[in-house]
Amino acid sequence: MKNGFTFFLGLFLALGLAWAGIVLGSNAQLGHLAPYFDENEGKAFPERMAGIAARGQLVYQDLGCAACHTQQVRRPDFGSDKARGWGDRQSVARDYVSQAQVQLGESRIGQDLANFGARPLAVDADRLTQYLYEPHGGMPSYRFLFTERKVTGERSAKALKFATPSGFETVPTHRAEALVAYLQSLNNVYEYPEAKPVEPAPKEGEHK
Amino acid sequence: MTTVPPAAAPAEVTEIDTSARWPLLLLLGSALLWLVFSGILALVNFIQLHTPGFLADCSVFTYGRSSAMQEAAFIYGWAANAGLAVALWLLARLGGSPLRSLNWVVAGTLFWNFAITLGLIGIATGDMTSNGWLHLPSYVLPIMLVAYGTIAVPGVLAWTGRRKEMTFAAQWYAVAALFLFPWLFSVAQMLLVFAPGRGVLQAIVAGWFVQGAWTLWLAPLALAAAYYLVPKITGRVIPSYDFAQLSFWTLLFVGAWTGGRHLIGGPVPAWVATIAVVSCALLLFHYLVVAVNLRGAFCSGGSTILKFVGFGLMSYVVGGFIDAATAMRGVAAHTQFTFFSEGQSQLALQGAFSMMIYGAIYFLAPRLTGRSWPSGALIRAHYAAAVTGTVVLVLSLLVAGFVQGRDLNDAAIPFAKLAGFYRPWLLAATAGQGILLIGNLLLATHLLWLACPKAVNPAAFSPAPTMEASVS
Repeated sequence: MKNGFTFFLGLFLALGLAWAGIVLGSNAQLGHLAPYFDENEGKAFPERMAGIAARGQLVYQDLGCAACHTQQVRRPDFGSDKARGWGDRQSVARDYVSQAQVQLGESRIGQDLANFGARPLAVDADRLTQYLYEPHGGMPSYRFLFTERKVTGERSAKALKFATPSGFETVPTHRAEALVAYLQSLNNVYEYPEAKPVEPAPKEGEHK
Repeated sequence: MTTVPPAAAPAEVTEIDTSARWPLLLLLGSALLWLVFSGILALVNFIQLHTPGFLADCSVFTYGRSSAMQEAAFIYGWAANAGLAVALWLLARLGGSPLRSLNWVVAGTLFWNFAITLGLIGIATGDMTSNGWLHLPSYVLPIMLVAYGTIAVPGVLAWTGRRKEMTFAAQWYAVAALFLFPWLFSVAQMLLVFAPGRGVLQAIVAGWFVQGAWTLWLAPLALAAAYYLVPKITGRVIPSYDFAQLSFWTLLFVGAWTGGRHLIGGPVPAWVATIAVVSCALLLFHYLVVAVNLRGAFCSGGSTILKFVGFGLMSYVVGGFIDAATAMRGVAAHTQFTFFSEGQSQLALQGAFSMMIYGAIYFLAPRLTGRSWPSGALIRAHYAAAVTGTVVLVLSLLVAGFVQGRDLNDAAIPFAKLAGFYRPWLLAATAGQGILLIGNLLLATHLLWLACPKAVNPAAFSPAPTMEASVS
């Protein structure tokens, strides 16, 4: 290590090789991945997120929801993702191509949300909004996404349906509405050619 | 290449130390403030994990934000400041001349800490980005990059202007860490924040950055300290310098390839995870060499500094083996997405990095100030708290992760019931974090006492005969 030049060359090579291999390598493979155009349906998948859902994704990001929730379904023979009803097929890279900020997450303190939009809780926007307001088991309430205000004139249609002091109502803020819209939009059901579920091979002597 | 550590100077404190006193104490002082701050946040987070309603109504302390703040305060506040102080001092000592351009360090430190403060306020108020180890808002990242560069300038000058042609392992690690982080950091900023890649590329780059920041930056900073302190204190040479060199390059060339280890089974090309599995196994060579070369730290002979370093090295090596085991797909199926990963990262950050850096702080702070540590009891208390806290924290997180992983894979157990089974272990982890926080408060107070004895206890100041914190 007497030669400073060789030493620095080594340092840069060490970093450069890993960068080229992992970052450039995966970019070469995935950088051109485009939405899949289905001629029968006449549109491309994954569909573009609606504006309000895209804003909701920013709320999801700035609250750090990914600290507890993943958004990735693993194949049926790896973990219990399918058995828990989190998705019928594994997530594939194409599911994420239209997302501005991909939030795969690394922790399942809460449930996986990759296909949350398809679940009964998410189908009803009012119920989901209420869910965010009330604490549930491990998930705290997000009351700061709501405002309590005096009813002026008629009660708002968005007001949460529970007893508040008379003359007051609790309504979701724009942020809460955007978050709900985003959560409802999470649904990767389209079966891309590369996303055919990999079923575990039947064991010898076992009939499917 | 020589295998002999530099001979101890006749006088323990030289001009090298005194000239760097205030700039490096500024780095160390801010590091400890961040450490205590991140410890408080970590305690809040752990309480929230078993009692989710705690501070939940306050948007600043919602779990997602406060855990991101804790992580940023720990990595960029504590680890960066302290690691840089240690690296600069080592490079000056081993280079044989006082640090030059120290004004750059002061200016850089002020800007660095200003940027982190601004960044944490940003996270608290909703500007967080979604990448691991890079949650800080986009507007502070360029400031941090420039500030880091200015802090590192004297280190580079100490390396290029060193008096001796031959170099020591501690210098390789320190220079590598100083040099590689800005590259990693700037590439990660570009590809994650300013011009994010398409789809899951972001996750792949984030994995590469996190593993790179650990293997090319934080681990080398800690190892630089260990490679300096062990031969210096034991008075014995490193058993095999050739292997040390080989192990250094193994860490550097293989380290960042382990980036895909958290993406196993995920929606990324399978080779990303496969390469990570292979790389984790290759790194075992590095861990083995470190363990063999620095085994002197495991028989501390009464030196508290060596006890810190020894515990840190043990955590480092054990952590490396656990990483390699959990990178295998069969094991990952049980540990992925659970507290087991959190336990591994705490083992690395608290057990390995922090312990080795504590050792270095106990060694260099008395030399910087020209005074010995005021209280041996405080050092022993910190050691006891750091070891107990780390062991309790890491073990309970690993067990919590094991329980969680086992139940998570059993679809017959409803998801809502899972938390109840691992909750007791999270209570234990909270206790561990609490003990760690007490230890860190002790260290912070002690450093303040050392640097400004009159501020803490006017009667206590008396020059002591030795610099060593070798009370056992």
